Parts: sequence; structure tokens; C-alpha cells
Amino acid sequence: MKKIIATIVKEWILLRRDVAGMALLLIMPAILIVVMAMIQDAPFRDYQEMQFDLLVADHDRGSLAREVKTGLGQSRNFRVVDSLDGAPVGEVQLQQLLQEGKYRVGIVIPAGATAEVANSANRIANRISERIGLGTMPAREPRDSVYVRIYYDPVAKPTFRMSVSSALEKYITFSGSSLLMQRLSRLSGMEGSDSLLRDAALEQAVRGLEVREEKLFETGVANTLVNSVQHNVPAWAIFGMFFIVIPVAGNMIREREDGSALRVALVPGVIRFVSLGKIFFYVIVCCMQFFLMLGIGMHILPWMGLPQLHLGAYPLAVVPVAIAIAFSATTYGYFIGSWFRTTNQALPFGAISVVILSAMGGIWIPVDILPKPVQHMAMCSPLYWALDGVNQLFLRNLGLASVIKHLLILTGSSLLLWLLAYLRNTRRAASI
Amino acid sequence: MSLAIEVYDLHKRYKGALEPALDGLSLQARKGQVIGLLGPNGAGKSTTINILCGLVTPNSGSAKIFGKNCIHDTVALRKEIGVVPQQIALFGNLSARENLMYIGRLYGLNDNTIRERSDMLLDRLDMTRHADKRVIRYSGGMKRRTNIIASLLHQPSLLIMDEPTAGVDVQSRALILNFLEEYHEQGNTVLYTSHLMDEAQKICDEVVIVDDGKYVVSGTPGELIVNTPDCTTLEDVFLHYTGHTVRD
Repeated sequence: MKKIIATIVKEWILLRRDVAGMALLLIMPAILIVVMAMIQDAPFRDYQEMQFDLLVADHDRGSLAREVKTGLGQSRNFRVVDSLDGAPVGEVQLQQLLQEGKYRVGIVIPAGATAEVANSANRIANRISERIGLGTMPAREPRDSVYVRIYYDPVAKPTFRMSVSSALEKYITFSGSSLLMQRLSRLSGMEGSDSLLRDAALEQAVRGLEVREEKLFETGVANTLVNSVQHNVPAWAIFGMFFIVIPVAGNMIREREDGSALRVALVPGVIRFVSLGKIFFYVIVCCMQFFLMLGIGMHILPWMGLPQLHLGAYPLAVVPVAIAIAFSATTYGYFIGSWFRTTNQALPFGAISVVILSAMGGIWIPVDILPKPVQHMAMCSPLYWALDGVNQLFLRNLGLASVIKHLLILTGSSLLLWLLAYLRNTRRAASI
Repeated sequence: MSLAIEVYDLHKRYKGALEPALDGLSLQARKGQVIGLLGPNGAGKSTTINILCGLVTPNSGSAKIFGKNCIHDTVALRKEIGVVPQQIALFGNLSARENLMYIGRLYGLNDNTIRERSDMLLDRLDMTRHADKRVIRYSGGMKRRTNIIASLLHQPSLLIMDEPTAGVDVQSRALILNFLEEYHEQGNTVLYTSHLMDEAQKICDEVVIVDDGKYVVSGTPGELIVNTPDCTTLEDVFLHYTGHTVRD
């Protein structure tokens, strides 16, 4: 034990003296999570939370256009812009502004749109009234040439397009439903205070079945929606932890090159203690790094207008997960430092392999949307098990039992890497 | 007098090497002596030392130090020996004291013992006032002296030194050689390699000259000078046996 502690003390003195190195170990991951959380905040935000300027070229000037504009304007998602510099927006101008990227989305409500919807409502009302012996309203055949046109900025993403189109269809349907009820009220002579439009229960029925999101299980802690902070802080903190391969491998190779490793090799029977001490030390550094990043997510990012990081229903369960991730990252560095001869080989390999493993493991893009073969490959990345383990706790609000598999995989693979490194080091000690 | 080092018919060929590093080398050295292992570059001195330290395994032959097998009994062997490698085997970003504290703890010594021995050795090799500076800032001589101190902390019975005075100034060299003489006078055994023949002639009780991985000749410096024709110095003897061809 004394030999392990001696090695931890030695590593601490060496790291303390390398102020720039220590700062990089803590500051760079902090900068990384802040930047990534900020730049990915918008893409991660649910469209319900975002507000876009919606250009509207209203050539209709009827009730449909009015209701669509009012409905869209009242939703939190859109700010309706139907005039610019005091003049109504025209279709060509709208297209031009979208092409220039000044707006993301625009709709053109053609002349006669209200008349077309009203005609459609009349036709339905007439069909109904024919069967119950009421009168008829004037109606004609529908015109295919009249439809609401929607234009997008060419860079708008498909999910955004789908979301805006759905919202627009919803308001047009509501408008059509209102007109239909108006027509039915008129045919049945229930106008004014008796109008069907004033019947809240009927209006609710016309809207159809309501959809509400519910919690999966009651844990006493509000379910956390995945957002930029919930994804980026753990993901990039884990990525930063794995970058410990650079100091670990670099330190080992430097010690071999400067001869200090030879001094240790000449002391009888200490290689395993030195190896343990070195790994313990860097596991501690990695854990400090991880918890510092979580602290930033909980206390600093909210100051920047970002959501606060939530640690789930069982926050203490993250401690064994953090230790297992730190062990995995450190032993990977130890493995690289043992098997590669020079820093020129080890450091680029270490850095690039961490980037590859992180891409495979869902740090950059959630694994669910990766191609199937890559999803299978993700299982080979310790970063996948690390991130999934953290998500089990932070997003799914599950406890320690849910991450036992993750802990076993991370620890088991680390022990294997450590064994391979140890074998290499004992062979090397015998062949200096 | 009993033997400190017994080497019999050592053969070693490194992977991919055309020539063997050791080709049937045998030598013996008695306890309490300073033995000089001399030879030109590539003669096999470092390989012999590495085998004696248990760092390199020979292809065949045997090597023992104080009766302990250098190939199979390395843990017990390394407790008995102190090695001063040609390389400065110290942590550059630690001070001499921090290096000694770490190395001492690895040897299982308690902190008080480490401090006492460090103070004594630092003082003896004139390093006390630099002991708290980082090794990386030391001169070549200071590094060599600290390298020697680190090898003596656990009080070995045999000190193996691979060119301990290479690249040091005259003053440091004199200090190291004086220290070696004192250390020898205390009854300790030293195996020493060097390219500096005057140095070897001055401090060695016996020298063994090796070349091309083979034993060439051995004896006290005086005996070798007297018994080799036209030689007045150990350097003459060395050149007589190893020739004037430059080795790479």
C-alpha cells in the first residue's frame, strides 16, 4: 500500500508542477461542454419551445387567413410577419427573403382561400342537411388551383419542415371545422347565442381526442427531457475523461525515454504497485474532472440561459459509474502507453481512437439514429456504455441496479486492458 | 575470498542482430573489490551488466551475484545490488529529495531512514544545497551524482556502475572517484565500466577486458601493465588487446 501511495504522491507532484497540463485537463473539457451545450442548444430544443418568424403573404384577406394568422400568432412557436415596411408581404418578396436566408419559413394564403374553405363547409353541411331535411347553402365544385403554399429556407431541416407543416394543417383544419359548425348552425336556425360555435363541449368534440404526454414511472423526480445540457454535459465530460489517454500514455513513454522507468524497473517487485498507483491517481483525476463538469452543468450553464443539468432520482448512483468510466479511460491510456514505443505513435493514435470511439458510442449523435451496423459496433465502444449508463441515471431516473451491466462491462474491459499492459510492461522490464 | 560475481559462458544475441552481443563470456570477481569491466564500444559491457541486473535474459550460460541466480532470482538479486545506469534514471520534474523519497519508499524503507540516508549521501556527494531543485535543472555532473545516490539508498552489497563519469566536469569526476574509493574502503564491491583508462587504472583492484562479446584478459592494472609487452599504462594494455580499429 505504501508503494501505491508513494506513486500517487509522485504523480501528484509531477502533475502539480505541470500547471499548463493540469489546467488543460480541467479547463479544456469545461470549455468543451460549455461550447457544445450552447451551440447544440437550438437543435436540441423542442420546437414547442422555439419561436420563429413566419412570413405570411395574405392574398385572401378573409376569415381563413385571419384565423390561421391568429392561431399561429397565438402559439408560442411563431411570430407572424405579414407586412414589411408598412406594406403587405407579397409572394415574390416572400420567396426572395427565404432564398436569402432572412426567414426560415413563409406561407402564401391565396385569394379565394376562405371562399374555398367556406364552399367545402357548405358542401359538407348540404350533405348532412339533405339527410335530415333541412335547407341547402350555395355550393360549387371545389377548385384544385386554390391551396395554401408553404415555402422553406433551403437549409431548413426536415424535422423543422414537418413541424411547421403540421402546425399549419392543424390551424387550417380548425378554421374549416369552425366554418362547418357555423354553416350547420345557420342551416338549423341556431344562430346568435344558440350557435354551435358557442357550444364548448361540441367544439372540444370537433377537436377530437386529446394527446397528453405522461411520466413513465413516478420516481418523485420530474422526468427530464433530453436537451442540450442533459446530452452534452455527460457526453462531452465522458469524452474529456477519455482524453486522459494523452497524459497517461505520454507520461509512461516519457518515463521510459528519460530513464526514470528504468530506475523503477530496477527496484525488486514493484511494477504492479507502481502500475496500481499510477492508475489510481489518474482515476482520481478523471473523477474530479467528471464531477467538475457536472457541477458546471448544474450551476454555471443555467447562468448562460441554458437548462440546468439534472442528476436523476438517484444522484449518488453516478459515483460508481464515474469511477468505472475513469478506470476505463485510464486503463486505455495505460494500455496505449505500454504498447506504443514513442509519443509520436501513441498520442495521435490515442486522440484519434478516442474520437472514433466517441463517434461510435453516441457522443456526437445519438446511437439510435446511426445505421444498424454502427449501432452494433457501438457496443464495442466503452464510451457507449459510459454514456448509456449515465443516461440510465440522469434521463430515465433509474437507480444503481440499472447500470450493473454497464459497470461490469466497463470494469471488465478495463481489467483486460490493464492485464495486457501489465504483461507488456513486465516483458519490457526484462528487455530494456 | 568468496566470489561476488560469477559469469559462465554467457551467450546473447539480440533479435534481428547479425553478431552476438556476448559470445561465451566468462568472468569472476571477488567480494570487496572494485572490478573494472573494460572494452571498446560494442564489446558487450552493457549487455553483461543488464544480465547481471536481471534486465536481460541470456540465450545460454549462467550469471550469479553473491550466489543468487541473475536470471531466475531477480527479486532477491535486486535487493543486493545498486545499479547506476549510463542513462540518468531519475524523474526530471522531481527534486533530488523527492526522487530519493519516492525510490526509497519503493524499496520499502521508512521515511526517517530515507531522510537520514539521503542527507548523508547528498552531503557526501556535495548535493545538499541543490537537493530541493528539480533534477531537470541540474548540470550533467549533478545529475550523475544524484543518479549514484539513488542507487545507494537501499545500501546494496554490490554497486554496478555503467560509465558513471561520462560527460561530467573534472571536479564532479574527482568527487565521484573519491566517493567510490571511500565506498570501497568500507568493504563494498563495485563493478564499474568506463572508457577512461586512467580512471580505471586509479580505482580498480582488478580489470577484465572484453571484446566482441568474449573475455580477453584480466588482472590487476599493475599486473597487466607489467605482463603486456611495451605497455606503461592501462590504456596501452587496452589498445594492445583490442586493437586500434575504431568501433561504432
